[in-house]
Amino acid sequence: MALTGPAGPAWPFVRLKLRLIANGLRGRPARIALFVGGVLFAGLYAVLGYALLAIPGVLDNERAAGIVLPLAGSALVLAWLFLPLIFFGVDESLDPARFALLPLRRRTLITGLFAAALVGLPALSTLVATAGMVDTAARLGGIGAALTELAGIIAGLLLCVALSRAVTSAFATGLRSRRSRDLAVILLAVLASLLGPLQLALLAGAERADTDAVAAVATVLGWTPAGAPYAVGLDVVAGRFWAVPLRLAIVLAAVGGLLWWWSATLERSMLGAASSARGGAAQAAGDPVDSLLFRRLPRTPFGALVARETRYWMRENRRRAALITFAAAGVFLPVSLTATGSDSAGTGGLAGLIGAIAAIALANQFGFDGSAYATNVTAGVRGRVEVQSRATAHAIYVLPVLVLIAVVSSVVGGRPAMIAGQLGLLVAAYGVGLALVLPLSVRAAYALPESTSPFALSSGGGTAKGLLTMAVLIGAAIVTVPLQLIAFGLDDVWLWIGLPAGVAYGAAAYLIGSGVAGDMLDRRMPEVLAAVTPGR
Amino acid sequence: MTVPAQRTGDESAVGPAVPAGPSDEQSSVRSRAVVGRSDGQVAAMSLRGLVKHFDTKLAVSGVSLDVPAGSFYGLLGPNGAGKTTTLSMAVGLLRPDAGQAVLLGHDVWSDPAAAKARLGVLPDGARLFDRLTGPELLAYHGLLRGMDAATVDQRARELLDVLELGTGNRTLVVDYSAGMKKKIGLACALLHAPRLLVLDEPFEAVDPVSAALIRDILQRYVAGGGTVVFSSHVLEVVERLCDHIAIMSDGVLRMYGPLPAVRGERSLEEVFVQVVGGRTATGSELAWL
Repeated sequence: MALTGPAGPAWPFVRLKLRLIANGLRGRPARIALFVGGVLFAGLYAVLGYALLAIPGVLDNERAAGIVLPLAGSALVLAWLFLPLIFFGVDESLDPARFALLPLRRRTLITGLFAAALVGLPALSTLVATAGMVDTAARLGGIGAALTELAGIIAGLLLCVALSRAVTSAFATGLRSRRSRDLAVILLAVLASLLGPLQLALLAGAERADTDAVAAVATVLGWTPAGAPYAVGLDVVAGRFWAVPLRLAIVLAAVGGLLWWWSATLERSMLGAASSARGGAAQAAGDPVDSLLFRRLPRTPFGALVARETRYWMRENRRRAALITFAAAGVFLPVSLTATGSDSAGTGGLAGLIGAIAAIALANQFGFDGSAYATNVTAGVRGRVEVQSRATAHAIYVLPVLVLIAVVSSVVGGRPAMIAGQLGLLVAAYGVGLALVLPLSVRAAYALPESTSPFALSSGGGTAKGLLTMAVLIGAAIVTVPLQLIAFGLDDVWLWIGLPAGVAYGAAAYLIGSGVAGDMLDRRMPEVLAAVTPGR
Repeated sequence: MTVPAQRTGDESAVGPAVPAGPSDEQSSVRSRAVVGRSDGQVAAMSLRGLVKHFDTKLAVSGVSLDVPAGSFYGLLGPNGAGKTTTLSMAVGLLRPDAGQAVLLGHDVWSDPAAAKARLGVLPDGARLFDRLTGPELLAYHGLLRGMDAATVDQRARELLDVLELGTGNRTLVVDYSAGMKKKIGLACALLHAPRLLVLDEPFEAVDPVSAALIRDILQRYVAGGGTVVFSSHVLEVVERLCDHIAIMSDGVLRMYGPLPAVRGERSLEEVFVQVVGGRTATGSELAWL
């Protein structure tokens, strides 16, 4: 592609990236296992995607292909936009700031970083998955259509990668000041939560066999940069040859624009580290202990830990991002779900999921601390105190949000009587989520990169780390199933016993999980510290 | 206390670095060091055969060392010598592959609570919860150690005052300067009045004024019966402060004992460079400079 420039200047970046991946794995069986897991998952995704996208071709259904390809392509582009931000974090293994001192022209740098970003499991599996579209095009329109579609999916991949890079970079730069950061995260969460209803609307359309409406959407999407690259093959099939260069031009213009945007933000992010000098205003000197603890907290190690954790949830970018994203998505998702007219069982299931998602924020709680965790190790904090204080601090933020979710979703759903039962389900799911996440946080702690980006969660094997979180979500969903079945079966009775039963269920699960995690931590403190210390 | 003489490997490693003549003197340094320690006191820190591998690299290979109570002990070595690794293992932050660390009579790894209660640590780098303000951080450390709130308040104020960090300072520690970070770290390590202080590079990146202040505090602490062990690669500081030193390189203790015995007639720098086996640039290479 012309936009990636000549292979010459980009090649060292690609080699560097490969070398970083290889060195990250060297002599670390656990990481190799995670990497293999990531490869398997990516492979599965690629094969499934290929199979799904090849179906219209196998069925020899041109109309279906005309709907599926642009829609699936657009969904893919959206996934590339949101998944790095929400789930997997940005792969910061090639941190642009590290190149700041090298005499590189911006064009070379962007080309190189872009090429390096194309190297990796997500890009590879996306390419393989979208190759299913080439398959479809080949079956429908022969070799010419296939080649055109191939060019299309490559352009599409470039778009995906450029989009995710440009947006995350822009966010990281724009999020320097605390206020803009909070605003952006809320905005992002709202956008993300809008994906749900969009998807539901599409599904509803499909259910009503209202294919005309969906086809209209697909046609429109086919002329946006998101859908255009995937529709070119079908143009050849249909004989609309004039549309091919037009669509490709749309995509390439979008890629070019994104790369330009990226390079602009990159320049800014390379200038000066994020030193957000904050509140130096001297206040009246209170007692140090009072400045740390809130009024009600006990003057004990537990109180100190809870106080420190609650402060950290507000003062640390990554934690705050996680919290705000959860709060916004947690309120908006069920609301949009009820608003689009889903039944109560659906919202019940969603409640279970949301409770568990809240707990996910603690999956790498020691990683947030980094090497500062050494303080607690030298002070010899007991494992259970450590784990429970962290869960307590998190609950201080999460429980009010859960109440809010229960109230809002029930009221919007038109069944205010459900509030208590809904809250019961949420709390139960949160407790179960904690029970699963706390031992995981001790067992599978990993170091976060020392990056200024609130979305930088993983260096290298990010996919695999995301998988662990997914596993927890699924596990939590399974463990709360009995309770959901009871809630569904009892229906009216659940309105009354829902809250106490849910709280008891969640509390029991939490006590078991935190006990296991605490005892495990007592044995593994130095190992946890070593795991979360960056750069080792 | 009797101490096993230095481990094998030292002999050969030190050998070539030390001029032929003083090899007797060298062994006498060691024996004097041993005698110096056998005055009936419990060692403040006693390490036995500590070993640590990272992946495939041997970071520390069999370090044994006794730090007499009430001494000011400097651990010297070039970058990457294994100083931080050794001290981390000694204070219970890093589990050794083999060996034992006993602090004031309590084994760090089998009786951590007792050992850690008497120990103050200033870890290397940014190992502080730096998104708290200075006073908050001190309160956190104090309460975490189980001290009562009134004592924490009183001592924290005093420390903040003496170290010129400001009792009402609302700046987060992350925004402190390097010197201030070291000082607040030191304050955290001192807050619970430990009997043993282990400091990793306390003078690195510290301005002269702060360094002088830290030196004063440490000297007063030792005069009051405390024991300080600290690592550094700044020879001048070590020479000025310490009564005992140990020199490490490549994960091995090359030499240790009371400062005058180790130094002998030469300057510490001379001894250090020889022991570590560094090279000095001569004329022929780097001619293009």
